[in-house]
Amino acid sequence: MDMTGEYRIAAARDVVWAALNDAEVLKACIPGCQELEKTSDTEMTALVVLKIGPVKAKFKGAVELVNINAPEGYTIQGEGTGGIAGYAKGSADVALAADGDETVLTFTANANVGGKIAQLGSRLIDSTAKKLANKFFDNFHKHLSNEGPEET
Amino acid sequence: MYSTKYHKPASIADATAALTAGEDATILAGGQTLLATMKQHLASPSDLVDIRAIDGLSDISADGNVLTIGAAATHTAVASSAVVRDVCPALADLASGIGDPAVRNVGTIGGSVANNDPAADYPAAMLALGATIVTNTREITADDFFEGLFSTALEDGEIITAVKITAPAKAAYAKFPQPASLFALVGVFVADGAGGVRVAVTGAGEDGVFRQGAMESALGANWSAGALDGVAASQDGLMSDMHGAADYRAHLIAVMAKRAVSAA
Repeated sequence: MDMTGEYRIAAARDVVWAALNDAEVLKACIPGCQELEKTSDTEMTALVVLKIGPVKAKFKGAVELVNINAPEGYTIQGEGTGGIAGYAKGSADVALAADGDETVLTFTANANVGGKIAQLGSRLIDSTAKKLANKFFDNFHKHLSNEGPEET
Repeated sequence: MYSTKYHKPASIADATAALTAGEDATILAGGQTLLATMKQHLASPSDLVDIRAIDGLSDISADGNVLTIGAAATHTAVASSAVVRDVCPALADLASGIGDPAVRNVGTIGGSVANNDPAADYPAAMLALGATIVTNTREITADDFFEGLFSTALEDGEIITAVKITAPAKAAYAKFPQPASLFALVGVFVADGAGGVRVAVTGAGEDGVFRQGAMESALGANWSAGALDGVAASQDGLMSDMHGAADYRAHLIAVMAKRAVSAA
């Protein structure tokens, strides 16, 4: 399933672009992200704890930035395995458009979940994916608006 | 395998202590969701703090038109309580229709409300009745309590002790159950109570229970099923899954709302 969204950020496009490439910022904005380490300029390893209702699963995986077109956008993709819980992968195409002093960020994201977590939670996967994608961009928006990311 | 330490505190203070001491401790309030999740190893808490033996936590009482239901009251206890039947019969009816007898005999109102499953029955009642959720530290209105899919205003280690409901003039719940799980595919609770006319919908929203504003206005002006004719529920933000698409759920919201109004 695809999710889309748009945010108007009160910061110049170069600033937004730099933040999108800053591992510390990404770590603060990815919901449940506990560790995010750069292994190269475009690759990172991540540890994400996903807590949805009674389910609490730790996903270990990799995050990669591809289709880089500075400073207009990129695709951020990640995939991870959560042991017995299953696997999750997703990506988001992010585009930045300058509008005066502000920047309009648009995204199209998709997510795939498999294994036991998908089997048991099928009725909730779409809602959860949407919630997490929106949470990431909400956090990112708040981060750049100097409100700091919301506690997850 | 993993080990889990089981605690059965007799007081809120002991429960709080056990929750704080455990590395990844969680409250067991009946376990009709949690235990099934643990069996699948989708949750593996270090400590389970069973709050059901805490003194007074299962009590149901009424003071005038205010009903107080202890958090550890089972669905069966609520369904069969003469006090609930007297003050808010719609709530007793709702409790009698949750899951199956095995779930009703063990599952609790506090557990259901804290879990905030987007298809659970109780959250719709709490929101429509303008209930107050009482915890060990504060009182939270239902409007502020339910924050979205499986999220609530509860802090880590905060324990729901009771819910308080003011008797409504009229109320009823109508549910279209998903036949396998018996969760609500769509459930609508209508109430004309202290907070005015309210319509709360469960089972349908992507972000959990929500109020249906258009129906509230229509019923506020004219409390009858006919007043809902032509008030269509929007598909925006509704779930689409293998059990039903968003347009189907939107249609069911209208049908269930009418049934509930007729029954109230």
